[in-house]
Amino acid sequence: MTTSERRLRIPAELDRLADVRKLVRDATRAAGAQPGTVDDLVQAVDEAAANTITHGYSGDAGWVEVTVAVSGDELVVTVEDEAPPFDPTIIAEPDMTVSALVRGPHGMGIHLMRLATDGMTYRPREGGGNILTLTRSLTAQPEENR
Amino acid sequence: MALQTTVEQVEGLTPVTVVALDGELDGATYEGVIDTIRGLYAAGTRKLLLDLSDLSFISSSGLVAIHSAMRLMRGEAPPDTEQGWEALRAISDKVERGRTHPSLRLCGTQDGVQKVLDRTGLGPLIPSYPDRESALADF
Repeated sequence: MTTSERRLRIPAELDRLADVRKLVRDATRAAGAQPGTVDDLVQAVDEAAANTITHGYSGDAGWVEVTVAVSGDELVVTVEDEAPPFDPTIIAEPDMTVSALVRGPHGMGIHLMRLATDGMTYRPREGGGNILTLTRSLTAQPEENR
Repeated sequence: MALQTTVEQVEGLTPVTVVALDGELDGATYEGVIDTIRGLYAAGTRKLLLDLSDLSFISSSGLVAIHSAMRLMRGEAPPDTEQGWEALRAISDKVERGRTHPSLRLCGTQDGVQKVLDRTGLGPLIPSYPDRESALADF
């Protein structure tokens, strides 16, 4: 059951990421999320939107729409766009036993998204584009579990 | 929130350039930081302290700026933003021997930013101090 919802659509421009972060910060705080949960979701959504703008649209015009909803005791954030299809959930996890300096460059944003959320699901958008859904429990979880 | 960058030269036995970042280091601002540090190295900076006391957010793009600072202070070209971490393979042998970066230090890192550094494995590679004074004293 969705009890509240906030939505923002921005042009696909990197200097609008701050607006996305503010939406997520405000909405998750209003939902009663713990500070660590707020920070994590801000991080995850920033990474998702930045990926879309940088790699999805690759400089072309477009938009990114972020919706933050509260469903029961869960925060549900969707990141929607019209960019070419890309499913970040199938990207392999980097080998974190290897030094940061010998690891490849790609996947750090997605790695951070995984650590910051409880779940991440992808589906193609009808008519073209992508819908990424990020979930995180409102129930506080020990930091050491993340 | 935009990012404000303040540069200060600290003279002493070892001259150190302090770059203070105030705001959010993200996909829109990280290239400006790289440009600043590139210019400082060209102007003679060889010891760099990044004061992160007022940095409230860092994204994976911001981490590329930190990586670039590491490379630049070694006299190497910053990694291509598309290649980022890959370009740092060249100095991996140093790290594998447990050495941290000698010319770059961090101070004042807020918990949220530190969490990102640690989650990506970058945190342990750069000496970090609670405040500017202790970092400068240990260069």
